[in-house]
Formats: sequence, C-alpha cells, structure tokens
Amino acid sequence: MVKGGVSEEQLCKVLYKAIIDGDDAASEKAALDLLGKGYKALDIIKSCMVPAMKVVGDMFARLEIFLPEVMMSADAFEACMKHLGPKILEEERREFIKGKVVIGTIQGDIHDLGKNIVALMLKANGFEVYDLGRDVPVDEFIKKAREVNADIIAVSALLSTSLPYIKDLVKLLNELGLRDRFKLMVGGGAVTREWARKVGVEGYGEDAEEAVRVALKLLGKK
Amino acid sequence: MISFYEILRRTEEGPHIDEREFDLKVVASESRRLVREYDIRFNREEIVTSDDSLADDVFKAGFELALKAGFLTVDSRRVIKLSEEEIKEGLRTAPGELLVGQGADARLLYARKVEDSRYPVIMGGQAGAPIPEEFYYQMAISYMQEPIVDTINNGGLAEVKGIEVRTRSPAEALAAMAELRYLREAARAAGRPGIHLLAGESSVTCIGDLAAQGEEFLRRTDAHLVPVLNDLKTDYDRLTKAFTFKIYGGFNVALVDPVVGGFLGGPEGVAVGFIASYLLSRVIYMSDYYIIHPIHPKYVSTSTPETMWVLNIVGQAMARNSNFILMGDVWTSNGAGSREVFYEIVANTVTNVATGSHPLGVSATNGKYPHASGLETRFMGEVARAAVKLKRSDANEIVKEFLKKYHPERMDRPDVGKPFPELYDMKTITPKGWWLKMYEEARREVMDIGLKLE
Repeated sequence: MVKGGVSEEQLCKVLYKAIIDGDDAASEKAALDLLGKGYKALDIIKSCMVPAMKVVGDMFARLEIFLPEVMMSADAFEACMKHLGPKILEEERREFIKGKVVIGTIQGDIHDLGKNIVALMLKANGFEVYDLGRDVPVDEFIKKAREVNADIIAVSALLSTSLPYIKDLVKLLNELGLRDRFKLMVGGGAVTREWARKVGVEGYGEDAEEAVRVALKLLGKK
Repeated sequence: MISFYEILRRTEEGPHIDEREFDLKVVASESRRLVREYDIRFNREEIVTSDDSLADDVFKAGFELALKAGFLTVDSRRVIKLSEEEIKEGLRTAPGELLVGQGADARLLYARKVEDSRYPVIMGGQAGAPIPEEFYYQMAISYMQEPIVDTINNGGLAEVKGIEVRTRSPAEALAAMAELRYLREAARAAGRPGIHLLAGESSVTCIGDLAAQGEEFLRRTDAHLVPVLNDLKTDYDRLTKAFTFKIYGGFNVALVDPVVGGFLGGPEGVAVGFIASYLLSRVIYMSDYYIIHPIHPKYVSTSTPETMWVLNIVGQAMARNSNFILMGDVWTSNGAGSREVFYEIVANTVTNVATGSHPLGVSATNGKYPHASGLETRFMGEVARAAVKLKRSDANEIVKEFLKKYHPERMDRPDVGKPFPELYDMKTITPKGWWLKMYEEARREVMDIGLKLE
C-alpha cells in the first residue's frame, strides 16, 4: 500500500484473506473501508486483491482447493471491483489489466469445466475475461472480441468433432481481415500442440497453468 | 422401473434451478458436506485400500447425493429427481450378469467382487481416440486378433472419405456407420464375427447412434455410450440416445467421467459423485453397465494417484453394495511404443481388477494421438489375469512400485510413442520386432516383482 499504518495493513490482510476464503461480503466491506480511508483503488487491487487471487490460483494448481472455491474467490474479487473499477483511470487500468480475453467452448461442444477453470485462472492472474459459455458459434467469438476490443480469443474443445469449428474460426478471421487483430489460443482434451500449429493458432495450453503462461507470453508480459 | 415418458415428464416439470446454483449449492455443497460427514479421506499411500468401511461409507454418501441432487436437464434447467424407492428399485433390478456378443464370441459380463478370483472380461481398444480412416480397420484387427481380448471399445473416425466429422453434421451419421462397417469387417477378418462392440464413437450426439442401429452396424448384442454430463447433468441429446437404444434392444453404458478438482471437489467428492451418477443413470438411462473414468485436471490420465484411488474406492463401493457391472478405464499419458506405457498399464490395471472392475483400454496418450495397438492391450489382459490372485494390500504395493516409475516425471513429459503404422507391419498386422521386444522386456520386469503372467 502507498500509505503505511498498522490498521491499513491489517485491513489489507482482511481483504486478502476474505478473497482467499471466497467471502464476498467481507471482501466488499474491507475494500470499501480501505477506499473510505483514502486509499487509491488501484493500490488496493494491486497490493491486496491480485496477490490473493494468485494464492488461490496456486492452491488450485496443487489441488488444495477446487473449482467452487476458486469461483467463490473470483466472485469476491468481482464484488470489490464493482466499487473499485469505476474509480480507476483508464491509464491505470491498462497498467493493472494484463489483457482482455474472450473465451468459450466452441460450437458443437457442451463441455465447459476445463474452460471454466482456465477462465478463472486467467482472471486470477489479472486478465479481463469475457466468458461466452459453451457451444459458442464461431461468429459470436468474433463479435464479442470486436465489441470489447479483446487481445486474445481463447477457445476450448473437448470433442474431436468440434475441432473443425475452430478451423472455421481461423478461416473467418482471415476472411474478415481480423486475423492479426486478435491473438488466438486453444486448449482442451481434443486439441494437441501440433494440431494448433497446423491450423495456424499461435497459442496452446495443455492445462490451465500453461494457458496463463501462454496468454502472458502472447501479449509479451511476464 | 419408471418409464421413459415419466423421465421426460420430469425434464419438463421437475424443480427449476439455475445451472450455477445447481453446481454450487447442490453438487459442490452437498458433496463437501457428505465427505465431511462420512469422514472420507484420500490416502496416497493406500491407492488400493483394504478398508471395507470406507468403501461402504462412499456408497452411502453417494446414495444420499443421488437422492438430494438428481440430474439437471441442461436444456430445460429442470431437475430429474428420483425417490428413494426408485433408486432402490434401480439397484434391485440391475443386471449382475449380461451375455454380450454373439455365438462363440459371446462373453458373460458380470459384476465383479472385491478381490474376485475370476478372470475379468477384457475390453480392448483405444477408447475415445480419433483414429485416421487410413488405418482404422487394421488397428481394429490388432485388438480383435488377440485371444485375450473379449470385447471391443475402439475410438472413432476423425474423418470419413476425407470429410472431417463435426458435431451435428450429417458426417456424424456417415462416420458412425463407416466405423461400424470397419469394425464388423475387422471382426470377420479376425475370425470373431460375434465379438461384442461398445461402439459408435465417431459421433458424439445421438445422430450417430440413431444412424447405426441395425444388424450390419450396432447389433442388439452390442452397446453404446450414454455419458453423464459433469457433474450430475444430462440433456435431451443424451436422453434420446438412452431411450432409443433401449427400445432398439441394445445395451446402454453409462459413461461417468468427472474431473478431480471440479464441482464435486477432490478425489473424495468425485468418488461420491460417481456413486450418485451410477445410481441415477441406472434409472434415468436404464444403464446396463458402467464406466469408471475419473479425469485428472493436469494429466487427464486414470493412472495418477488421485484417479487410481477413485477407481479403487468406487469399484469397491459398488462391488460391495450393488450388482452393477463396472469397466475401469485404463488411460495412460504415455503412448504405445514407449516403455512407460507398460508401467502405467500395470498400476492402473492392478487397481481396477483387485477392486471390482473389468479393465477397459488401453487408451494410450489419453486418446489424443492414435499411438496405440493390440499389443499393449494384450499386456493389459495378461496383467489383469495375474492380478486376480492379489489381495488388496499386495496390489497396493505393486501399484506404488510401478507408480514410482512414471509419476510425476513421465507424466509431466510423457513419451507419446508412435502411431499404429509405425508399431505394426500393416500387411501382416503383427507388431514390429522392436515393439515386441519392448513388450517382452516389460513382461519380464513385471514377473521380476512377483506378478505371474501367463
């Protein structure tokens, strides 16, 4: 935190712990208390909230906590962002947000558990994530990516019979002259590194941890 | 048993619930409560547990979860709930034996018991894998010509006549029919025309199942998969599969494949979720037999400590408390053509056989690459037959011994091996010398630790 003081530090710890615990009411209260004491929204996010989500991501990777706990932490994070978000200046936002990702399970596939995990891990690592859900038509990915000016389109596929739709996405992006505007990454049970390379997709994640690393790398960030 | 029409009515008139609420407030919350209440604990030192009361507790917890949750119908957001009596009726009427396949190739599938000394039924094939049409037929023969292989569950076709198979396209129907033609022809070529097939894997929706019902495709002595969606969900497509195939007269096989770390929680909650899924699918899908397929969130494989513990406890829970016939998947990270694939097979197969399941596999590379063949499935069968002599405590020692050989290093960096045409002579459909030698070395290694292979 920019300002010192034991009570503020304690308050940050309260917020940090509340996010790890997935307690949205306590998180929201702690964030509002810190705002009330005059702390900058961006400092609260960077010093208390992002480190908490990092811990959550690490615990999930070690299977010490599971998907519902990660979801609850993400909800607590979002509850705070409702208040802090509007107070962040656009240039501050760019500093804090690693990038914007539009994510979904591709058309023809209703499996979304892995995609949900990746979406949460991206959020936990500072990405702004727009989750379109499952069985998402190809043009919906593009429409949303244009609307929010996304950096990355991330696509999941568990079924081999849904892979042709990912090729359709690449093709359509090319036809619309948008292929260079968005980075593409893929993952899921049906996808292999070789297949991703073959169809011209630059990012591939074997699991959620790798997906985060790849997303950061695609945007030239650590 | 309640009728299809009653099930369908419940998809329209059952309690309405938001999907997220179902995931968190029903599945996640209830599985956690039950794991706590029954004090169910995963122990990586006892992957094959000898604790009967733990198995019984998992069963009781699963029964409670089934009763509490039901299946959410994703399309209508309504829950198909079952009463205690309906679940118990499903248990009472479950077929403990099924004659599958035809003529001399028919086999008796049966509900195994814990430490059952009978030979298990070996189901061979690279289940779940997309296999190129160029060698689908030869690869199928490689499994069917193995005398130790009793029944077949091979992967699907990735393409048909050069056209990629995509969900909901007519290619699903054409591919499912082509797949069955290849399998039927392979069965005749291998001299086993009546071998039982669990097939139709080229199509993920009901399109393929509907197209491939018939004597020249899926016979009434064959089976198809009806997946339970994760976690504790179904949809109209899955129900169409279940209803129509049952009316046709074939066998419905419930595929349950939750992810460890998902809504059900860790290995303990996943085990409880398995039991609930089986009890519900017995009634809702009218399932005849069941597949255990826990998915590891990082490695996918069924051969990790967490997923094998789930295979072990679910197998024992069902074997001690029901008449359900279980097939335990053998999905390895390493591929055929690697040494490590054999190590994974030993640990995974011993776990399955000692704890009440028949082995199904080998789905090498977790079904990602067609790097599989009949030879490693022969090995799985041989290990399975040797494992019937094991007490659970001895099985546990063998599992831990072999686990050390591949976990975690060879799961982090698996050797995916080689595609089928590099493993077998494509004209004679026999394993190439180097691959056979690797298999023989693996056999010796297994026998050195005291497991007597035939």
